[in-house]
Amino acid sequence: MKNDVKNGKITMTITIALACFILVFVMFMQFKIVNETDITAIETMRETELRTELANWKEKYDETEAKYQETIATIEEYKQTKQSNEATKELMETELEKVNMSLGKTDVEGEGIEVILRETENDEVSQINADDLIVIVNALKLAGAEAISINDERIINMSDIVNINIQNSYKIFIKVNGQRILAPYFIKAIGNQTYLESALLGNGGYVDQLQKQNQDVSIEKLNKVKIKKYNDEIKTKYIE
Amino acid sequence: MKNKKMVSIVLGIMCFALTLGIFIQIRTVSGTNTAVGQTYEENNLRAEVLRYKEKYDNRYQDLEKAEKELDKERQSSTKNNSELEQKESAITQGNKMIGMSDVTGPGVIITLSDSKAEVANALDPNSLLVHDGDVLSVINELKNAGAEAISINDQRLVPTSGITCGGNIIEINGEKVGAPFIIKAIGLPEQLAALERPGGYLERLKKDTVGAKLERKNSITILKYSGVITYKYAQNVE
Repeated sequence: MKNDVKNGKITMTITIALACFILVFVMFMQFKIVNETDITAIETMRETELRTELANWKEKYDETEAKYQETIATIEEYKQTKQSNEATKELMETELEKVNMSLGKTDVEGEGIEVILRETENDEVSQINADDLIVIVNALKLAGAEAISINDERIINMSDIVNINIQNSYKIFIKVNGQRILAPYFIKAIGNQTYLESALLGNGGYVDQLQKQNQDVSIEKLNKVKIKKYNDEIKTKYIE
Repeated sequence: MKNKKMVSIVLGIMCFALTLGIFIQIRTVSGTNTAVGQTYEENNLRAEVLRYKEKYDNRYQDLEKAEKELDKERQSSTKNNSELEQKESAITQGNKMIGMSDVTGPGVIITLSDSKAEVANALDPNSLLVHDGDVLSVINELKNAGAEAISINDQRLVPTSGITCGGNIIEINGEKVGAPFIIKAIGLPEQLAALERPGGYLERLKKDTVGAKLERKNSITILKYSGVITYKYAQNVE
């Protein structure tokens, strides 16, 4: 009788241990599957998502292909012009011009938009500050802007936009590239007019938001926007 | 007798938990399957995307090789001519500044990570997360402190880089990156470390218990932009 009880107990313990083990095992499997279900993975994408993804990769491929062909052509040209210093110089100048364009060292023009932010008389409307301009510049870049300037201060790769407090006043002024700029602010951008405008005006667009706060902001589409070059030397000391 | 009852109840609970576990498991598995929706059209699209991705990867490798060759060719063409050598160095230096080649130098590494605090204890759960606006502000401050090259999770900032919010992740240069955000910047470390100053942006983030760490480094390597910069609308004018 005593033995029977003992036997029963052992069986029971083993059964429970086994059940526990299986339960833990299943839970681990569960966690692993959940972890592996990556929401960004291509396997779980729907048709529309896949179409945009495909368009993105196609565009990236086309751009890379064009750039590759251009690079190959330039290499060929260098090989051919090796004998003549004059020809090499010309070739280098075209290359340098392209680099300078990205650096912001050249005047550029093309279709685009101009965003104009004016100071309002209304004291209840807050002053336009650097963060507003940062958000607008970022939105323009996302919409494919190729060149941007604020009050003729060219936005280059390492441009900063900061607030400077005016002493003994709650007012601020804004510095771009270390240069003080004053309202009204004219933000010029070159790129696809429709993309640029809708990035700011579309539902939830930043200019739309500002207008709802009674700020005096307007956007003009222009067939020819001229953006001036960065009017200082661009120096680097630390990058190698 | 009492003992037997206890055992039965324990066993019953065990079985119930086990069944529940299995059910959740089955539901997750079948859930992922239905989300895939394996229609013919979608499979085709998926294959097409992968094909283009591969094509792009291959071409990009070719391009990188070609660019190295071009650098070499340019160098050999300009040897023994100081005027051309000057132009050559202007091109290579320019490429570094716009993010088209790898750069090394002293600087800082800033790590921004979502808060580990309990969401339930926060007034505004949103304040516990790192947002695209936070990254934008940190980058603007780095530029203000004289940064010469910046990358976020190895996405190099180029003149056309924008940052956008995409739910739990943010997108830079059209690529998705998630927290923690590792921002590398090259410049004078002492100056860049000004971001840590009292009242600075990093301190404000820390108040929200968001993780914000700044490390000074003697040598940081920042990778080049993994794309191409093209102009469709802008043109140079004299």
